[in-house]
Amino acid sequence: MKPVFRILLLVIIGTLFAWLWTIFFPSPEKVIQRKISSLAANATLKFGDSNLTRVGKANALVSLFAPDAQIIIVVSGRNGHTISGRDEIREAALAGFTSQPTLNVEFLDVTVRLGADKQTADVSCTAKVNAGDRKDYGVQEMRFQFKKVDGSWLIIRAETVQTLS
Amino acid sequence: MIVCSQLSAGFRFNTGVPSENEHHPHWLRVLAIGRRPKFTLIRIAVLVVTCFVTFKFILLPIRVEGISMLPTYHEHQFNAVNRLAYVRHEPRRGDIVSVRLAGTSIMFMKRIVGLPGETVSIHGGRVYINGQPLAEPYVKLTCHWEHEPIRCGPTQYYVVGDNRSMPFGLHTQGRAERDHIVGKLLL
Repeated sequence: MKPVFRILLLVIIGTLFAWLWTIFFPSPEKVIQRKISSLAANATLKFGDSNLTRVGKANALVSLFAPDAQIIIVVSGRNGHTISGRDEIREAALAGFTSQPTLNVEFLDVTVRLGADKQTADVSCTAKVNAGDRKDYGVQEMRFQFKKVDGSWLIIRAETVQTLS
Repeated sequence: MIVCSQLSAGFRFNTGVPSENEHHPHWLRVLAIGRRPKFTLIRIAVLVVTCFVTFKFILLPIRVEGISMLPTYHEHQFNAVNRLAYVRHEPRRGDIVSVRLAGTSIMFMKRIVGLPGETVSIHGGRVYINGQPLAEPYVKLTCHWEHEPIRCGPTQYYVVGDNRSMPFGLHTQGRAERDHIVGKLLL
């Protein structure tokens, strides 16, 4: 029984160590997935959120983007719209946040593909957005490009993808 | 014969007298794990594996949301997508398919009207394929949609919902890539 017990103990310790390693040194994919979750959390507004909270969320949202980031929005049947730089992103976020009493944003099916240089990453996901107190929601396929800037993963490009062209 | 009957009598005597509870487990235990727990475990394992394989690789359970497939499918209906439908043949005109976005958490449910290489246009709410009107008996709610001719690529299918009474701008339709078509609706 002793060797079996020892092996079992080693396996448990090994698993625990591996788990702790992923907590303290997460993989780039994990870090990027957390950034996407943070993006969704900062874009979500609750009914009771004060203006100060909304401004704080807009600033937190902007901090996830690189200074020269671009957001390209192309919705079927309408002309495309490009938002460039942090200032424009902040303006757009504040405009959106003040016009909606509530906003719920979720990113589903997040897939992270790390570039060969390990300094860039492509993320594809489905955005599910529910505005106001409406029961129906909008869905949009999205693509993000991340770049490691000064050790931190930032969004350099966000664009909508037309699933049905 | 005599030996057998003696053994039988002895068995009845030995097992019946001490306590009935020893050999007849409590009904709650029987209900929870069955009379033979080992077989129950095996059955549970087989059931779990079967469900996992079925719902992961063969049938994808879905719930209909939205009105774009009225009156064929109503909101909040449950259905399943057969992922193996197009293993032996390619999607056909008239098939109701699910088109994935980034993944399969949320999908579009549409009907195929245009096949690869075909030109699809809509005039007065009627679909035209290569300039010929398409018979669509499933369309009950008509409209006056207008759409310029659009050619499907070699790997593209033109998909549209059955509810043509809603405004064109609110109705998601268009060319779907073959690799985005997950499967055919089961029911």
